[in-house]
Amino acid sequence: MSNFENLSRRELLRISALSIGGTAFLAACGKQSGVQSSANIASAGSVPSLQPANSGDITDIVLLRTAASLEYNAIDTYNMVIEDGLLTGDFAKLSDAAKRFRDDHVAHAAAINSLVVSLGGKAHECANERVDRLYIQPALKLITTEGNEDTSRDVVALAHALENLATQTYQGVVGSLTSPKLRGDAMRIAHDEARHAVVLAQVLNPGFASVGPTVNEATGKANVASVPSAFGALAIIQVSLGKANAEGVKPSLNMETPSLNGLIYDNVTC
Amino acid sequence: MPIAKQRAPRSAPPKQPTSNDKQLLAFAQEAELAVHDLYATVVSSSKFTGDEAAMLSMFTEHHKAYAQAINGLLGKEATNRRNESIYQTYVGQLTTMQSIYATLQALENTLAKTHIDILGNLEGIDGAQLVASIITAEARHAAVFGTLPTLSLSSALDNPAASIAPASSAPATPETTVAP
Repeated sequence: MSNFENLSRRELLRISALSIGGTAFLAACGKQSGVQSSANIASAGSVPSLQPANSGDITDIVLLRTAASLEYNAIDTYNMVIEDGLLTGDFAKLSDAAKRFRDDHVAHAAAINSLVVSLGGKAHECANERVDRLYIQPALKLITTEGNEDTSRDVVALAHALENLATQTYQGVVGSLTSPKLRGDAMRIAHDEARHAVVLAQVLNPGFASVGPTVNEATGKANVASVPSAFGALAIIQVSLGKANAEGVKPSLNMETPSLNGLIYDNVTC
Repeated sequence: MPIAKQRAPRSAPPKQPTSNDKQLLAFAQEAELAVHDLYATVVSSSKFTGDEAAMLSMFTEHHKAYAQAINGLLGKEATNRRNESIYQTYVGQLTTMQSIYATLQALENTLAKTHIDILGNLEGIDGAQLVASIITAEARHAAVFGTLPTLSLSSALDNPAASIAPASSAPATPETTVAP
C-alpha cells in the first residue's frame, strides 16, 4: 500500500504550499523577460572578457616549435645583454661567454627549425610571447629597479634561469615526442644548455663547495648549484632578482616550462 | 594537464623497455658502473681533500644512482657488472691530479654522448625519460671539470668525445661517432 494513501488533508495542503513556493523561488532566480543579462552580476568591479587559451593538436612539430621559441627568448636576452652593456665591472669579462651562448642558441634554433621543416611544419623564428611576458619582462623590470646594486649579477642570474628553463623544456618533451630519433636530437641540445648553466652557476656561486646543492642559512633558500641534483630535474626554477629588502632578501620569480597555454601551435605566428 | 597526458591518446609508444631497449640499457648500466668504479678509485686514493673530495664523492654516488635506476628498469635482466673494457682503458690514466680531472671529464663527455645515441634508439618511454635525466646531469659533471679549478670556456662547453654506444644504437647523423 502506498504511503500517499495515509496522508491527511492538512499534510496534502502543506506539500502543495511547499511545491508552489519552491517553483516561485526558482523562477525568480532565472532569467527575467526584458532584462538584459550582465556578466557582472554578483561581482565586485568589472570582469574582463574571457579569452580562450590557444589550443590545437600537440604534435611533434608543436613541441619542437615551442623549443625553437625558447631559443629565441635566449637569443633576444643575450643580444640585449651584449648590446646594452649590462655586464659591467667584474662581470664584463663574461661578454665573450655571452656571445658564445648567444651563438649556440642561434645554432640550436636553426637545428630545431630544420627538424620542424623536415616534419612538414613551419619554422618558428621568434621568441615565446608568454615566456617573455610572464618571466623575462618582469625579471628585467626587477633587475632595472632603481637602487638595485647587483644589476650585472642579476643579469647572469636571469641567464642562468633561462638556460635551466631550456634544459628542462627539452628534457620534458622527451616523454611526448613520438620518435626516438627526435628525442635524441632534443637531448643533444639540452646537453649544451646544461653546460651553459654550469658556467653561469659557477659565476654566481663559485668553487668546489657550491657544485652540489646547498642552502643559504640566512634566507633558507637554495643557493645556485652547478649540479643541483643527481638526475636532471623537472621542477619550478626560482630566481632571486632586484633590489634587496631590509633583510637583504631579493624578490623571487618562479619559472616553469611551457605548458598547454604556452605551446607554439600550428596557428601561432611571429 | 601535463603535456604528456594530453598527448597520450594520440600516440602511444611503449612505456616499458622493449627487448632491444634492454640491450641498450644494459650497456648503459655497465658503463655507469665502470665510471662509478673509476671515481671510487680516485676518491680512495686520497689525492683530493676537503671540498674537492666531497664533490668527487658526490659524483661517484651519482653514477651509482644511475646504475641503480637502470637496474630498476631491467630487473633480473640487469648484469650489475661494470664494463671492464671502459674501466681498463681509463684506470691507468688516473695518476696526477691534472690527468685525473682530464680523464674524469673525458669519461663524463663520453657517457653523455653515448647516452644521447642510446636515447635516439629507445622505444620505451620509461627508459627514454630516465636516460634523458642522466644526460643533463652528466653534461653538468663534464662542464664542472671545465670550470674548476679554472675556467676554460671551450672545455666547459664543447664535448669532443665520441659515443661508445653499441653499433645498433647509432643514429644516422654526422654528429656522432660509433666505436667498434
